[in-house]
Amino acid sequence: MTLFERVFGGNDAVYGLTEGAIDAAIAQHGEEKAVSFPNTAYALPCYYAVTGTKVTNLKELKEALGVVKTLMTRENKLNDVFMSGVATALCAEFIEAIKYIDGAQPYEEPCYGHLSDAVIRELGVPLVTGDIPGVAVILGSAPTAQEGVDLVKSYQAQGILVTLVGGIIDQCQELGYKTGANVRVIPLGKDVTSVIHVVSVAVRAGLIFGNLTPGDAGALMAYTKDRVPAFVNAFAPIDDVIVACGAGAIALGFPVITNDDNDVPPIPKSLIIQKDVSKFNATSLEARDIKIKITNIDIPVAFASAFEGEIIRRG
Amino acid sequence: MSEFKLTTVEEFEQATSRLLETGAKVGADAWQLRVKKQSPHCKFGEEGACCRICTMGPCRITPKAPRGICGCDVHGIVGRNFLRFTAGGAATHSDHGREICHTLYASAADGNYKVKDPEKLIRIAKEWGIETEGRDIYDLAHEVAETGLMEYGKPFGTQRFLKRAPQHTQEIWEREEVAPHAIDREVSRAMHMTHMGCSSKAEALIRQSLRSGLSDGWGGSMMGTEFSDVLFGTPKPVDTEANLGVMKEDEVNIIVHGHDPSLSEMICEYADDPEMIAYAKEMGAKGINVAGVCCTSNEVAMRRGIPMAGNFLQQENVVLTGACEAIVVDVQCIFPALGPLSKCFHTKFVTTSPIAQMPDSEFIRFDAKTAGENAKAIVKMAVENFRNRKPELVHIPNMKQNATVGYSVEAIIKTLDGVTNSQVDETGTLMPLWQCVASGVIRGAVAMVGCNNPKVRPDTAHIELMKKLIANDVIIVASGCSAQAAARAGLMDKRARELCGAGLKRVCELADIPPVLHMGSCVDISRMMILVSELAKIGNVNISQLPVVGCAPEWMSEKAVSIGNYVVATGIDTFLGVEPYVSGSSEVTELLTNGVRDWVEAAYTVEKDIDKLGDAMLARIEEKRAALGV
Repeated sequence: MTLFERVFGGNDAVYGLTEGAIDAAIAQHGEEKAVSFPNTAYALPCYYAVTGTKVTNLKELKEALGVVKTLMTRENKLNDVFMSGVATALCAEFIEAIKYIDGAQPYEEPCYGHLSDAVIRELGVPLVTGDIPGVAVILGSAPTAQEGVDLVKSYQAQGILVTLVGGIIDQCQELGYKTGANVRVIPLGKDVTSVIHVVSVAVRAGLIFGNLTPGDAGALMAYTKDRVPAFVNAFAPIDDVIVACGAGAIALGFPVITNDDNDVPPIPKSLIIQKDVSKFNATSLEARDIKIKITNIDIPVAFASAFEGEIIRRG
Repeated sequence: MSEFKLTTVEEFEQATSRLLETGAKVGADAWQLRVKKQSPHCKFGEEGACCRICTMGPCRITPKAPRGICGCDVHGIVGRNFLRFTAGGAATHSDHGREICHTLYASAADGNYKVKDPEKLIRIAKEWGIETEGRDIYDLAHEVAETGLMEYGKPFGTQRFLKRAPQHTQEIWEREEVAPHAIDREVSRAMHMTHMGCSSKAEALIRQSLRSGLSDGWGGSMMGTEFSDVLFGTPKPVDTEANLGVMKEDEVNIIVHGHDPSLSEMICEYADDPEMIAYAKEMGAKGINVAGVCCTSNEVAMRRGIPMAGNFLQQENVVLTGACEAIVVDVQCIFPALGPLSKCFHTKFVTTSPIAQMPDSEFIRFDAKTAGENAKAIVKMAVENFRNRKPELVHIPNMKQNATVGYSVEAIIKTLDGVTNSQVDETGTLMPLWQCVASGVIRGAVAMVGCNNPKVRPDTAHIELMKKLIANDVIIVASGCSAQAAARAGLMDKRARELCGAGLKRVCELADIPPVLHMGSCVDISRMMILVSELAKIGNVNISQLPVVGCAPEWMSEKAVSIGNYVVATGIDTFLGVEPYVSGSSEVTELLTNGVRDWVEAAYTVEKDIDKLGDAMLARIEEKRAALGV
């Protein structure tokens, strides 16, 4: 199977799930039921940024899905793959939004799920000024918990914002590794769709700080590519859905680094196969052109701005 | 930065019309007029069904007279004509290559010609099994040159450079008996075979056409390219400009036209000479401006960033600007019309090669030993001629585009190194290009080559096809007058990436390249052969499996046919926008468009409708991808 077919396949699968989820929600709550994320002025931020339309209820969500369907063109061209990736991301946002119906709190400690505008305002400035030199999106389970945690820690020590999706969250917990927005390691959720919450950060950064016009998808993609130094680390095995999400990341200018070389053709600067997880950090930073000058201070604890918000508890 | 916009063919034509007005004023002839006088063309010639190889003829084949006097049928006649056409092209390129070998042989530490890329020389020497350790670079140069010269007439064996091809391709060449022996031998074998009473079997004639072509692409042309790099430097990316607007109203304009860089390099050298520039100022000019036409232009643009004034059908326009002090030519594709045309202006038409002598020209015999003084004399003559300009006739169309050129195979690999990841990848290979192709980000590559031909609205086919292909994520490598058409339109401006599909656009951004890569002159198509060979090796596939095709949409010369034959024989499907003279024979047509595929895994497609030609190339590329499973 070609990479493009995998993206299209993953996108179709996510679309099917989304359609099912929306229909089920309508059956349960009726069309007029309000849909929103908590603490944001941007409705469903990704869909709003791409189309300029604010979705407020399930009826509009169903209509929005129709718009998403039009992005799912199936020519064998990168443009189609990019749009499929964007469509996959939007579907993920819809699925996640449904989780929040009726003020539900679908995520519990240590996961964050949706991040509020306030968090973005807080992180956004250091992000665009370069004080946070990068955003790592880590997806799946590392070969061993120790390798996963070592990777997280290596980014953290460089001041990079780390977001976690899936098995890596359990791996951090297993080793008792401290996570949280205050130490810039944010577990998003266990489902792959929860990755949208970090995309939402990048997108809202564009709307808040980049003065982007909602609906100008081209400008959005250019902004994220030029200004949001994010990258994805996806652990093996990656399925078609993750490949489709990856296409969305690459469309936004974020390279994907994976240790899965099974049916994954590498693409320079965009999709990089790195079998050695201990080299994910160096590979990712080079791929995203993130240059960090580190003065190593020989002390027995980690040292970086990421630890500034750390809370020391008794005991 | 001003808004980027391609120059349209309509704008080219408006500029030409304005220049033709000047021409009409001074009573100049022009190709546009001569085409009218020659039309319609003789049908027998167009079909290839006319034979004049002995004095029993001329014979021509009709339904009532299906055989010539000797009894040869139309297939034999068409096949022989096609083979002679090929041999003409192969001889032309190969003689160019031979001249370069001689120039290399004449190189000396204190001479006119020096070795500028010793590394490349050593690489070739090693490839050929020539001892390099502890040797003086000029001793080595002379031995390599001599070894190269032997390739033209050695009694035994096949061409040395064939070993550069993938094993599979070499096996095909051996199996099909198309592996070329000595270069000159293949040309004379072609002439022998086509003599009255020798070969009249289409299959044998076409097989020799492929072999003769290969002796050019993997012999003469390849040596021409490689040794030009050794002598004048291997091209690397350089910014320049293209179209007639590169000529300067207040400077001495010297146009170099032809093919062999031995001449043009030396002219450029002396045009930069402070003594000459001072002399130009004395004559009332602000400086000396060298610009090029045709392949010699490609050579100096690739290596020095010398601006490109125009391609084949622009050569008269250069003189029609009234601002051309001298048009200095060597060999090939030079309109004899330039002689009489230059007489209508102050322009000096300077021929330099005993191979290409023309009436109404000033002949300054150019050779390696006296190159310096010859070039100086020519530049001086041009400078002195500035005073004779007729200001009332001067009109330089105000149109030019930026272009980034200089994409030799070496430069392409270096550029690709820039997108590798040091944690994962090796540098110095074509792997990143292969990955882009294999993943589908780039759908494939098209080598756009060839001439202009008045049978096609000049440059439209080149430009329209390129626009279509890049929009479909197909990267273009271009050479010759095709490359010049691209440069003049603006397709070699890096900003032209905006016209690409998302995949190619991303690649152009990451690698910082234009979507159309200028690989050089017509002999430099040998660079493309090396590129596909290396790509096939790194992808571990056969050349014929690569989603790559060749295209000559406005081809004209015998050289183009020789090129087409070696491209096909290398395993690359080739698309033509102008019909070769073979339609008279169903057998030859069938062989070229289909039958040779059984021998060399590729064939020709001829399609005069340019839009359909583009669709056919895209379809072939997708077919190849599907077959590869990528």
